[in-house]
Amino acid sequence: MPNFIQKINRITGALVSLLMGLMVLDVSWQVFTRFIIRKPSPFSEEVAGFFLIWVSILGAAYAFYKKAHLGIDILSSKLKGLKRQILEVIVNLIILGFALFIMVAGGMKLVILAFKLNQISPAVGIPMGYVYSVIPVSGVLIILYSIGFITASIKDKDKAILSHRDKKDELPL
Amino acid sequence: MEISVIILTFSFIILLALNVPIAVSIALSTILTMLFTINPVPALTTVAQQMTSGINRFALIAIPFFILSGQFMGRGGIARRLIDFAKAVVGMFPGGLAYVNVLACMLFGSLSGSAVAATSAIGGFMVPVMNKEGYDKNFNTALTVTASTTGLLIPPSNVLIVYSLASGGISIAALFVAGYLPGILVGLGLMAACSVIAVIKKFPVGNREKFFTALKKFCSAVPSLLLVIIVIGGIITGIFTATEASAVAVIYSFILSVLIYKEIRIPEIPRILLKTAETTAVVMLLIGTSRAMSWILSYENIPQNISSGLTGITNNRFIILMMINLMLLIVGTFMDITPAVLIFTPILLPVVTGLGMSPLHFGIMLVFNLCIGLCTPPVGSVLFVGCGIGQTTITKVTKSLLPFYAVMVAALMLITYFSWFSEWLPKLLGLY
Amino acid sequence: CQKKSHRILKLAHVLDTSHPVHKAMAFMAEQVEEKSNGRLTIKIYPSGQLGQERELIELLQIGSLAMAKVSTAPLESFVPEIKILGIPYVFRDDTHRWNVLKSDIGRSLLLSGEECFLRGLCFYDAGSRSFYTKKIPIHSPKDLKGLKIRVMKSVTSVNMVKALGGSPTPISWGELYTALQQGVVDGAENNPPSFFLSHHYEVCQFYTLDEHTSVPDILLISTAVWDHLTPQERTWLQQAADESVDFQRKLWDKACQEALQEVKKAGVTIIYPDKAAFIRSAEKLHDSYRGTQIFELINKIKEME
Ligand code: NA
Ligand code: NA
Repeated sequence: MPNFIQKINRITGALVSLLMGLMVLDVSWQVFTRFIIRKPSPFSEEVAGFFLIWVSILGAAYAFYKKAHLGIDILSSKLKGLKRQILEVIVNLIILGFALFIMVAGGMKLVILAFKLNQISPAVGIPMGYVYSVIPVSGVLIILYSIGFITASIKDKDKAILSHRDKKDELPL
Repeated sequence: MEISVIILTFSFIILLALNVPIAVSIALSTILTMLFTINPVPALTTVAQQMTSGINRFALIAIPFFILSGQFMGRGGIARRLIDFAKAVVGMFPGGLAYVNVLACMLFGSLSGSAVAATSAIGGFMVPVMNKEGYDKNFNTALTVTASTTGLLIPPSNVLIVYSLASGGISIAALFVAGYLPGILVGLGLMAACSVIAVIKKFPVGNREKFFTALKKFCSAVPSLLLVIIVIGGIITGIFTATEASAVAVIYSFILSVLIYKEIRIPEIPRILLKTAETTAVVMLLIGTSRAMSWILSYENIPQNISSGLTGITNNRFIILMMINLMLLIVGTFMDITPAVLIFTPILLPVVTGLGMSPLHFGIMLVFNLCIGLCTPPVGSVLFVGCGIGQTTITKVTKSLLPFYAVMVAALMLITYFSWFSEWLPKLLGLY
Repeated sequence: CQKKSHRILKLAHVLDTSHPVHKAMAFMAEQVEEKSNGRLTIKIYPSGQLGQERELIELLQIGSLAMAKVSTAPLESFVPEIKILGIPYVFRDDTHRWNVLKSDIGRSLLLSGEECFLRGLCFYDAGSRSFYTKKIPIHSPKDLKGLKIRVMKSVTSVNMVKALGGSPTPISWGELYTALQQGVVDGAENNPPSFFLSHHYEVCQFYTLDEHTSVPDILLISTAVWDHLTPQERTWLQQAADESVDFQRKLWDKACQEALQEVKKAGVTIIYPDKAAFIRSAEKLHDSYRGTQIFELINKIKEME
């Protein structure tokens, strides 16, 4: 994986954990205003939803780098050598296609629509285009990562680590 | 069958077999299906829109928060205190440590929403201890793996939150309460199996703790157990929403493990937050893309067609539920629990409600059925984590798992055909 | 895949199939089919199958959905002019309201979303919203003082309850029953059928028919679809929509009467307050719009018969 991609991912990771921390603070604030000072904040719930979107979509890009997404490796785990390299390239091209068409193209269209039509969030009143912009941004990151994986696995067959659940520690549920 | 169903199914299976991440497979097969009736640009935009609006639910924030509090509890000394407490309660019987293991998994499950967290937190302590006391390594691993799935039925439970969303908003409080009896039923069933195995394999007898030590251990577990009362009590009485309760769980477990027990240092927290966010993102990308898939399913009327197709074969409730269970058991061997719940709830829910089954009862049946799949090869995240902790292989553990599978399938039959297990408690508390 | 001569319009909404508005739209679908001899059909997706109201509006703009029925409340964040319908006591009574909605003002409100790809076909009656409370009966705005009243998550709703004297608490509709039960809020506000169907009357003893706002429902069509309809198809659709409005208003009135009877039977005290005091409180809110387009519109509406 090229150096600059590693660097970008470290920044992504830092941003994601910051957003996660802010989400904790925001919902704690909601609990505090509702139960301690008994004057519920009308904004915290909507803002929490925006944090969740950002943590999830940006975090999803980060998880692509970590190969942490769930996949089924029954067939692929049996492949070795060249076949494995080929499959790794194919899978990353498919992921690239997903990121390019759905996240960058579809997501960009959604952002443009939201800005052009001046759609604002009901409680806080911020333009929804800012909230949706995380989709194309993460799409670009995922494209970078999959290009990185493709070049790495072409150069070196041992780098063709297929399984999207190689790291078998702490899976989600 | 309609062309849309064929495209959806085949493209999905091919993508999965290639080891494309499940979330990506869902999104791409959805897009392929959409292109038949909707122009390309609106279709791509709709998938992107459904992905975000699927995630933008306040109830879903409970998931990262229960994952985060689980991290604090696992690393911060709360799990160990629960094990000590369980030892004091059931440790003195023949095969005592086996019961301790099950009870500790259930107790940890009552604090955390994740079975994997229970396996690593409880198994990480219990399996080495049991190995040293002369229990069979594979038995220890098999037991931890199956016992930790009770944590998905006993509230809080992240999977039940996912189901609440997929089913169109069944009350999370009702689902949580509904999980108690089935969760305890499975736990007791596993303990019963242990008692038989203990006699056959002549497992060692544990020490009876002195009353004073037992009391001390009980006292040191009280702060942890108090969390159950605050979180679940708060949800059931309606004081908190599930999301607010999860925030309280984070604050409480943070105070306990970082400020009081001091077993987690402040500099470790960004890493814990990142780990939580990564896990959250994996789940949320699945939720988002599944939302797009169920959108196209509704748009093409597919659930209704499958439902009328199934009820066209037979009207016998017993047989249809048996077929559904068999199908889900097969699905569960290959697929993880979250994607399976997200994909099959919109398809199967109309079938079973047509048979008069309540969405609440179906949710418990579905989740428990797929819990079995978490412990079966070839794909089972809890089994993978368990094998890692027990330092053994899937092939070796599978033989020791057989008696526990039998217990779980028997419990599944009870849960499927007797709605009492799922519905009595929520009705008693006026939640359903 | 569809033949050129046969067009299917997909219509989504979030209501149950027993709701008067769903029945009216089913009636509209029949009318369209009859008028067009089956060449234009409408397929309805009820119960939020394709998403919640906000998502449905976005889908219309994206162009993957043809029509949607939504409340005008979520439309506020897309089309600011529509806010006028959420301001309390803009209308004197039902007759005045329908005169306005059927006038040029109503027609221009229907078309106010065209720039953002949304064309309104008609308004449906969603009645008037009134306060209901757990323990304290509301006879005048003074009684609202200090009471936590649940509102929709919109700025207009928050301002409305504030202006009438209560303290607004945004809570989602699905969580409201337990919130009332546990005393998180002291009351809420909605129209009679919603008060009845949500079972909130089981926990709220008093229903004060102050009828502060009358937020109607609106039937929207994506301009991406409308622009591609032939003039003939547009006429069929618009006529059928207009006919369904009268059909729906009759059903709605009946549903309101029945709901009030049922909640009375269940032991709810129905209060008919002197509206003058409520209207005076609302005037301050009307004044706060001074200098904006909305203020001019309020005055224009007040002047109408
Ligand atoms: Na649990
Ligand atoms: Na499995």
